[in-house]
Amino acid sequence: MPEIRVTPLGAGQDVGRSCILVSIAGKNVMLDCGMHMGFNDDRRFPDFSYITQNGRLTDFLDCVIISHFHLDHCGALPYFSEMVGYDGPIYMTHPTQAICPILLEDYRKIAVDKKGEANFFTSQMIKDCMKKVVAVHLHQTVQVDDELEIKAYYAGHVLGAAMFQIKVGSESVVYTGDYNMTPDRHLGAAWIDKCRPNLLITESTYATTIRDSKRCRERDFLKKVHETVERGGKVLIPVFALGRAQELCILLETFWERMNLKVPIYFSTGLTEKANHYYKLFIPWTNQKIRKTFVQRNMFEFKHIKAFDRAFADNPGPMVVFATPGMLHAGQSLQIFRKWAGNEKNMVIMPGYCVQGTVGHEILSGQRKLEMEGRQVLEVKMQVEYMSFSAHADAKGIMQLVGQAEPESVLLVHGEAKKMEFLKQKIEQELRVSCYMPANGETVTLPTSPSIPVGISLGLLKREMAQGLLPEAKKPRLLHGTLIMKDSNFRLVSSEQALKELGLAEHQLRFTCRVHLHDTRKEQETALRVYSHLKSVLKDHCVQHLPDGSVTVESVLLQAAAPSEDPGTKVLLVSWTYQDEELGSFLTSLLKKGLPQAPS
Amino acid sequence: MDPECAQLLPALCAVLVDPRQPVADDTCLEKLLDWFKTVTEGDIFFPVGSLNLTPCKKKVWELLGEERSSRGTPGAVPLVTPGLGRPHRVQCRAAAGAPLPGGAAVPCAESPGPEFWGPLLLTPPGRNLRSPGKLLPVSSGAVDTIFSLQGDSSLFVASAASQLLVHVLALSMQGGAEGQPCLPGGDWPACAQRIMDHVEESLCSAATPKVTQALNVLTTTFGRCQSPWTEALWVRLSPRVACLLERDPIPAAHSFVDLLLCVARSPVFSSSDGSLWETVVRALSCLGPTHMGPLALGILKLEHCPQALRTQAFQVLLQPLACVLKATVQAPGPPGLLDGTADDATTVDTLLASKSSCAGLLCRTLAHLEELQPLPQRPSPWPQASLLGATVTVLRLCDGSAAPASSVGGHLCGTLAGCVRVQRAALDFLGTLSQGTGPQELVTQALAVLLECLESPGSSPTVLKKAFQATLRWLLSSPKTPGCSDLGPLIPQFLRELFPVLQKRLCHPCWEVRDSALEFLTQLSRHWGGQADFRCALLASEVPELALQLLQDPESYVRASAVTAMGQLSSQGLHAPTSPEHAEARQSLFPELLHILSVDSEGFPRRAVMQVFTEWLRDGHADAARDMEQFVATVLQVASRDLDWEVRAQGLELALVFLGQTLGPPRTHCPYAVALPEVAPAQPLTEALRALCHVGLFDFAFCALFDCDRPVAQKSCDLLLFLRDKIASYSSLREARGGPNTASAEATLPRWRAGEQAQPPGDQEPEAVLAMLRSLDLEGLRSTLAESSDHVEKSPQSLLQDMLATGGFLQGDEADCY
Repeated sequence: MPEIRVTPLGAGQDVGRSCILVSIAGKNVMLDCGMHMGFNDDRRFPDFSYITQNGRLTDFLDCVIISHFHLDHCGALPYFSEMVGYDGPIYMTHPTQAICPILLEDYRKIAVDKKGEANFFTSQMIKDCMKKVVAVHLHQTVQVDDELEIKAYYAGHVLGAAMFQIKVGSESVVYTGDYNMTPDRHLGAAWIDKCRPNLLITESTYATTIRDSKRCRERDFLKKVHETVERGGKVLIPVFALGRAQELCILLETFWERMNLKVPIYFSTGLTEKANHYYKLFIPWTNQKIRKTFVQRNMFEFKHIKAFDRAFADNPGPMVVFATPGMLHAGQSLQIFRKWAGNEKNMVIMPGYCVQGTVGHEILSGQRKLEMEGRQVLEVKMQVEYMSFSAHADAKGIMQLVGQAEPESVLLVHGEAKKMEFLKQKIEQELRVSCYMPANGETVTLPTSPSIPVGISLGLLKREMAQGLLPEAKKPRLLHGTLIMKDSNFRLVSSEQALKELGLAEHQLRFTCRVHLHDTRKEQETALRVYSHLKSVLKDHCVQHLPDGSVTVESVLLQAAAPSEDPGTKVLLVSWTYQDEELGSFLTSLLKKGLPQAPS
Repeated sequence: MDPECAQLLPALCAVLVDPRQPVADDTCLEKLLDWFKTVTEGDIFFPVGSLNLTPCKKKVWELLGEERSSRGTPGAVPLVTPGLGRPHRVQCRAAAGAPLPGGAAVPCAESPGPEFWGPLLLTPPGRNLRSPGKLLPVSSGAVDTIFSLQGDSSLFVASAASQLLVHVLALSMQGGAEGQPCLPGGDWPACAQRIMDHVEESLCSAATPKVTQALNVLTTTFGRCQSPWTEALWVRLSPRVACLLERDPIPAAHSFVDLLLCVARSPVFSSSDGSLWETVVRALSCLGPTHMGPLALGILKLEHCPQALRTQAFQVLLQPLACVLKATVQAPGPPGLLDGTADDATTVDTLLASKSSCAGLLCRTLAHLEELQPLPQRPSPWPQASLLGATVTVLRLCDGSAAPASSVGGHLCGTLAGCVRVQRAALDFLGTLSQGTGPQELVTQALAVLLECLESPGSSPTVLKKAFQATLRWLLSSPKTPGCSDLGPLIPQFLRELFPVLQKRLCHPCWEVRDSALEFLTQLSRHWGGQADFRCALLASEVPELALQLLQDPESYVRASAVTAMGQLSSQGLHAPTSPEHAEARQSLFPELLHILSVDSEGFPRRAVMQVFTEWLRDGHADAARDMEQFVATVLQVASRDLDWEVRAQGLELALVFLGQTLGPPRTHCPYAVALPEVAPAQPLTEALRALCHVGLFDFAFCALFDCDRPVAQKSCDLLLFLRDKIASYSSLREARGGPNTASAEATLPRWRAGEQAQPPGDQEPEAVLAMLRSLDLEGLRSTLAESSDHVEKSPQSLLQDMLATGGFLQGDEADCY
């Protein structure tokens, strides 16, 4: 029985370290290769020893697919390809391929150099890993090999995020990665066609939540920024170059324009160019509004937001600064933070996740006295705010996607067990689709009934049509023929054609049966009585009495014989071909009931 | 355990067992268990017992019970199993009330696990428990639980259960009731008996997962335990194992191969153990091609093994390549692969079955041979020529240029045409083959096919990268002919053909190819920069010019590689031809690279520039040596402003080189090094110090000492310590303390601390600097900096505080995975 097997090595009833192994029609695919931000030892990576048990990695795995550039989805990739030894193809979208190394490099700098970790991947390894990447376009069907094909769909969430359909023959699995079913200010909503996969593997971060309107959070953000600059304070927004930064910039730009504010907004030098470069390059990945506007002007070239110079940080008066990196672990954002932290009028707004060991993480967990390098203590008097602008589908969105794709089964990953349990029940009850939620290391096995395409011969089709029965898509009906398999293809042909094509002679198989009748008459007379009886019962069939005394009904042959031991009994030998199997059975049961009394 | 943690622990336990409080995530629980283990290092029993905090102990068990019920798995207890590879989350589905080893009563019907499993799981294998005898005899309930856990739906649990079983088996064999080791051949202890019965039963099972479990348990046992009893175990179980070969298909073939190899490697078994080799011989002929290869490779890697078996294994390994060669060779080919190798029907079938099976078999074969080639125990004679011929043929089949000699060959042509996977594997192996000795024509053959590969317009970026790597290996290992031109007769011609191809690849639309081409160029010029033939061919081509243009490449990786390549070429005077028309191009590369260092928006090219400058300074490159002080001053000024701390760190590296050149090299701290007499510095100390001040080295170093990035501060600290040690050897300055400059230098300290430059570079007086050096506690700073940035975060107090603080905050909308 063919089956699909799914084993999460990470993200099974868990968030972080996304890594899901899928086995479909003999092909093995790894979906995402992420790291867990909560660990500092080798538990940060998925436990790959369960794959290496199966022999050489490159032989076992047919490909690796990365859904988007976030580290919990791609952070273990250089480790997997350059240190564990996977040397096969890695698929991701073009924007992911462009942005992924920036994040990996950023994380390497924290892990290796700041935390002093050994045995971590190097810059060269990140580059070598990225050289193994095959970039794909949206909706492009990519042949991994002769049998395995993949296709990317738009997922929203972040620039370049994609859902992937993995298909082998008629069996398919869709993996969503992280996705967002509502458009935001710079990205569109996730979309997939009615591809009816055998299995949909979906994230379930907000499995139990119907998220509040994004407008509320945006209003809150603007209010905080506005209040701070009104009272003469400075606002620092540490961001990663791409992603939420662009969304927040558009938000502030619009607000500044509407309120006619004059307070300067700055964006780190070098960063705007980089962001603009990627957004120009990948403009089809943004939302419709931005795409339309882009014809006249670049939405990411702002009127109120100017390039930042390090000297501006000492300027008196209010200002808003977007600076990298987003976790305050190094560079410009950290330098500005050090200058501004001592003033209670100022504010830092953290719009994203911060890894343990970074200043961002420390201030978000409430620390007010930070031990900087060389035993300096920095007292944080400025206000610290956290705003979640993450773009995941909520429960409604997940249900909507399941409805859109119409899968046979659903498997939940990337979420908490309790929340998954709730969503599982909802999916099973409302959509009547079986739903699974394996923990890490647990395998879900789904039997599949693959539909095998069969070609039909023209001759057979013509013969059917000659009977006046035109094929109709909505009314399936039975068609008799011979199924032949040649060169791995199936065809249904007439038996004559099958014999001809295969060069075989026809053999007739006859079923035989003996029926005992009480009759003292001679065999010929018994045969005649049988003939008369059948003639009267089977009016629609051709019943014949042959000169040799035997009787035929279609292909059924009946012959009477007299056993020597009992002259009062006659034996009827009945035989028929497989085509008349029903008729043969009917006749034997009829005759077993005996012949009608002859008029004396 | 420190008092702070001891104070926090009861409160934490209270939070964790409170059903109204949200449970901390798994990550924190795992870290908590990690910490429990560390605080009781050396104590085999579960640490809570030794905390001497009875209320805590109880609460932790309750917590574990809570965790279990929240996961909806009966009796699921998360435990960490160090010593068994990486930690696994073990869900012990122990039946409530199951009798425990040593007759211990289950302390609580709801949580039977930890009291029993803890000691077993927390003890690294091979380490005796405090009193192993106490664990014996193992009651049936406990071992049955482990048996059932072997079939758990979780891979982690199933694997941990198998390992635990091996552990129990080893323990029971280590000591009976009197603590005496069991004698092979004697009666097996009851517990071991039960486990072996179970393994035997599983081996006979018709269900493949059961057979796999049994084989894995045996593999782990023979891998870990080398006591004489393992031999007795093999004697008892080997007939059952051998019986698996009679089944069709052979179940769990992969695990079967692993077991045979593990037994063969075990030092307990003498190489004359006939039954083992008989089974291996049979396996080599019964297994399918997928498993035959790994078995054959494993055999050939053994140190002791019958020669006939080695021969058979090598034949098996060579079979697929022999088939390929036979299918394509018109005339009798080189000896080695085809001799005495009848076509193996299974191999041919696999090659012909489908594209993926053919590619799979060839890739595995090539990878196995690649692994075998450099080993000292590889078969001798090694058929270098035939292997090379076969690899070249495989590559030709992939690029469609091979001529088939049979119907099989024709089929292979169709199957392998354009198969990137096989091409990559073949190029890897071809590169490895360069390490073997062979006649000149072999080199020609290999280089010809590599050139074809590099030239082919259809080659994918990954194939081109491997082709460049293989070419480099062949070129660098090519035989040199004495008396001829310096690179032998073959290479100059090849280089003349190679450079036009390299030019083409430097203009490739994919950045991956441009980058691989530049990396190749860098490596080749690093090794051959001094060779006349190479210099001549390179300068006659447009390669240096193209590499120079790539300094403006849109892709930062390529810009960085171009910087490295140009830095290398420039070091050897190869960055532009010497002809008058190239006079402009021959100008110094320094301003160009300095511009990149100042303005490039990405870190990679800037870092590459700093590495090149450091190399130049170290090697006395003309651009650096012309006015060394000016060179260093300019570079340090730009590097000190860089936002990428790796650039600043590299700046300090350059400063250290300059220091070494000015004051003499750093003293070696190796106790075994020959103590050389101190090299006299190039100039008097005051002058040297003035030079250092002039280039702005002190400004940079003192600012960097308070850099918010730890590695920069560390490096600066090392540099200043080195400087202080150097100066200490000069008695004339040793006593110079205080003075008017000290105060001014100390006054500038806070400004450096704030990350500002104290005064225009070069304005310090050497005396002021010396005073500053004396006033700083550099040793203290160094030990502070040695701690990682997140040492506070990683502390157990921080963990306990985090877990305490988490309560009540893990609400729905908070999850943010950015």
